Amino acid sequence: MGIATATIKGFWNLILGLFTTGKYLPRKSVTLQYPDERWNMPERSRGVVVLLSDPQTGELNCNACQVCMKQCPVHAINVDQIKDPETKKRYPGNFTIDNTICCFCGICEEVCNFDAIKLTGKYEFSVFNKEELIYNKEKLQELGRDVKYTPRKKKKASDEDEKTEKKEAKPAEEKSETKTAGEKTESNPEEKDS
Amino acid sequence: MLEFDGLLLNIYNSLSLWFESLGVPLIWLDLLVMVFAGAVILGVIAVSVLFLVWWERKVSAHIQDRLGPMRTGKHGVLQTLADGIKLLQKEDIVPRVADKKVYFWAPVVCFVTAYMAYIVIPFGKGLIARDLNIGIFYIVAITSFTIISLLMAGWASNNKYALLGGMRSAAQIVSYEVPLTLAVIGAVMLAGSLSMVDIVKAQGPYFWRWYWLPQILGFGIYFVAATAEANRTPFDLPEAEQELVAGFNVEYSGMKFAMFFLAEFANMFTVSAIATTLFLGGWQPPLPGLSFIPSWIWFFGKTLFLVFVIMWFRWTYPRLRVDQLMGFAWKFLLPLAFANLFLTGLGVYFFG
Amino acid sequence: MESATYGKKLREEEFLINMGPQHPSTHGVLRLVLKMEGEFIRELTPHVGYLHRSIEKIAENRTYNQFMPFTDRIDYCASMPSNLAFAVAVEKLAEMEVPERAEYLRVIMVELNRIASHLIWLGTMSLDLGAVTPFLYAFREREWILDLFEMTCGQRLTYHYIRVGGVSRDIPPEFEKSCRAFIKSFRKKVDDYEAILTENPIFLSRTKGIGILPLDLAKDLGASGPTIRGSNYEWDIRKVEPYSVYNKFDFKIPTGKNGDVWDRYMVRIEEFRQSCNIVEQALDGLPESDTIRAKMKAVFRPPAGEVFSRIEAPRGEMGYYIVSAGDKKPYRVKIRTASYNNLQCLGPISIGLKIADLVAIFGSLDVILPEVDR
Repeated sequence: MGIATATIKGFWNLILGLFTTGKYLPRKSVTLQYPDERWNMPERSRGVVVLLSDPQTGELNCNACQVCMKQCPVHAINVDQIKDPETKKRYPGNFTIDNTICCFCGICEEVCNFDAIKLTGKYEFSVFNKEELIYNKEKLQELGRDVKYTPRKKKKASDEDEKTEKKEAKPAEEKSETKTAGEKTESNPEEKDS
Repeated sequence: MLEFDGLLLNIYNSLSLWFESLGVPLIWLDLLVMVFAGAVILGVIAVSVLFLVWWERKVSAHIQDRLGPMRTGKHGVLQTLADGIKLLQKEDIVPRVADKKVYFWAPVVCFVTAYMAYIVIPFGKGLIARDLNIGIFYIVAITSFTIISLLMAGWASNNKYALLGGMRSAAQIVSYEVPLTLAVIGAVMLAGSLSMVDIVKAQGPYFWRWYWLPQILGFGIYFVAATAEANRTPFDLPEAEQELVAGFNVEYSGMKFAMFFLAEFANMFTVSAIATTLFLGGWQPPLPGLSFIPSWIWFFGKTLFLVFVIMWFRWTYPRLRVDQLMGFAWKFLLPLAFANLFLTGLGVYFFG
Repeated sequence: MESATYGKKLREEEFLINMGPQHPSTHGVLRLVLKMEGEFIRELTPHVGYLHRSIEKIAENRTYNQFMPFTDRIDYCASMPSNLAFAVAVEKLAEMEVPERAEYLRVIMVELNRIASHLIWLGTMSLDLGAVTPFLYAFREREWILDLFEMTCGQRLTYHYIRVGGVSRDIPPEFEKSCRAFIKSFRKKVDDYEAILTENPIFLSRTKGIGILPLDLAKDLGASGPTIRGSNYEWDIRKVEPYSVYNKFDFKIPTGKNGDVWDRYMVRIEEFRQSCNIVEQALDGLPESDTIRAKMKAVFRPPAGEVFSRIEAPRGEMGYYIVSAGDKKPYRVKIRTASYNNLQCLGPISIGLKIADLVAIFGSLDVILPEVDR
């Protein structure tokens, strides 16, 4: 008798399996037809790294403090600092990001104090030649043109408490030499992300 | 409507009159008809396989909440054709240590056996290449040839995975041949004939008279054994991907691989077609009132339904292990097949 | 590598077969040298190291924060627990207080990642057994979890979310609703998997009584996680040695009876449900707070000393042994991963079985090769 019940039970479970898979047959499939249909990348997506420019002047926000270069865990960033002798402003002479070794960890974005570098939701950057994956300053700036970001100054204006806090912090940061700025890692992540 | 029965006979008769008037012996006409039938069957196989491969992909995709091929043609109908063209262009790689001759002939044998089985399948009223009086016996004999080709492929590749796959397939197909044949005998006993056409005609146009009801056990056994014969999951051990990579055809590439692939799907169609013929009334409509739909549509509809069920199995079940597979055939299916035979015999004796 | 398999004369009926490094069911690049007699396995020698990336050495040349992205790559199917293990170890070393909201977020993410990781296991194991469809169902559900992760931290595979002292970002506002919806639908999906596999006679015949791992052997080899729980041993770091805020949640530790493939399967299926419970409880008790990360100095230098801490990753115990010389970089990091020890169980329990059983056992151990080689 044991064999008979086992056979019936087994048979029933085989049927049950068929029903379970059959249940999904008429349902709408979850596939997206990729190049035709696209999904919305979330705002926080960590894709290709770009350099941000000031929307008014169109100049790079970067002042070549080299924090990102020093904090990059895979050494994918390379920045040269040039100091303008007249205006005393610092700007990056050469800014390259090697996308072949970049691991998209987002540390560069977090340590940057000047809204200069950002990981965007862009993900289509395959090329035929490996060397083309090493992006130079112009390319990075071009990629960052249409990237929207909330500049830190505006955020401070909305929040009174932070405003005073930042005002004290800001000159200190700008005064500090590149060497100390380089060490300034993970300064205030909560403030940035809230 | 689109019934070929009378049409083909008329063509044949008028052709034979024409040949007589020309003074050509009729044997030439028969030869011509044979060549024509062969070409038509080849076309049927090609089209049906092209369709089945596409359909399998679509069925699997929709069972798995995917879309499947969508790009080549509408809903990817031309995908198989594109794959075929791709396979044609592929380099034909022969392993250095392979047994070259056997390696070459294995896919040919495999395909030819699949092809030959189509000769006696009645696709519709009068749509049969050759109505042999031993039709079903011929099919059983021919389909056993598949073992040889798989064994050839497994051995000639000189690859351990391929050899294991070849050995598995030999053991499997030989074992499942027995319950399959015994299940077929049940239907033959009821019909009292080995001819495919006679078996179909004996079942009559009422669907409750078809042999699936008196032979429900036999139908089940046949269907399971046929799934194993066609090397489909849950019995696809010869090419178990996760164990033997690809089994007997691991070393094959290009068109030779395509021939194995073609043969697999052709076999799947064959076993479903035979199941339709033996148990589901062949080309007959389920009720006489539905005969306005051409017979070949009924035949293909039923066959494709069975093919769909086989596909459904594949995309639901895990795979058996090789010893369990053999145990299932010899310890479960074979006694059941004998019991079915015995019951059928009693039924024929008392009610027949 | 010294191997018992080489150099000896084979008997007439025996042959050597190389399973891997490229084989569909070795889940990466494991190489198994099998001595076979027909379909039976007589000897088995696993060769590991094809994925060695010297992560432990890399750790010595990175600061603690810089090393965090590398922990993602140790077990890429479960990056969150890998992150957490390192973070917990460093926090223990530096005696750091983690904000409570961050702890809750960590638990939510780690448990979601446990579900995602077990889904990969379910898919690949059923694939190894020849059932293709559960694989795609599992990946369909995993997709939703990955969407939740991407919404939170911006990545789908290498999250780099849990940091030393907290987490990198707070969850977005739409996270909670989506997460609850996922848990609700996922419970039904687990029933679907069970309908396809659990009582299926083919599945039962492939898994019941196959690859029995005796408890003493499992203990000797240092197996952990679902592998040892399948052998009827209630060993879960979340209960034995609670870290983070796990002592605040109510959950059970499922165990098997015989330690065969089916028991390990059932343990993981049950863990799906338990993880769902934990995520729901954590979402209910999520404290409102703005701080999600402890205040750290600009240059983080933990005090000199050494520490070992372990957590329960989806595949078992994951431990970090860190030696600090008081520098901003660790002096030495040793990573104890569950897969390495679990892989050792494969050899002893699959001798004498068939090659098809080996595939099933390997699937049930849920070994992931980058974790083995590191």
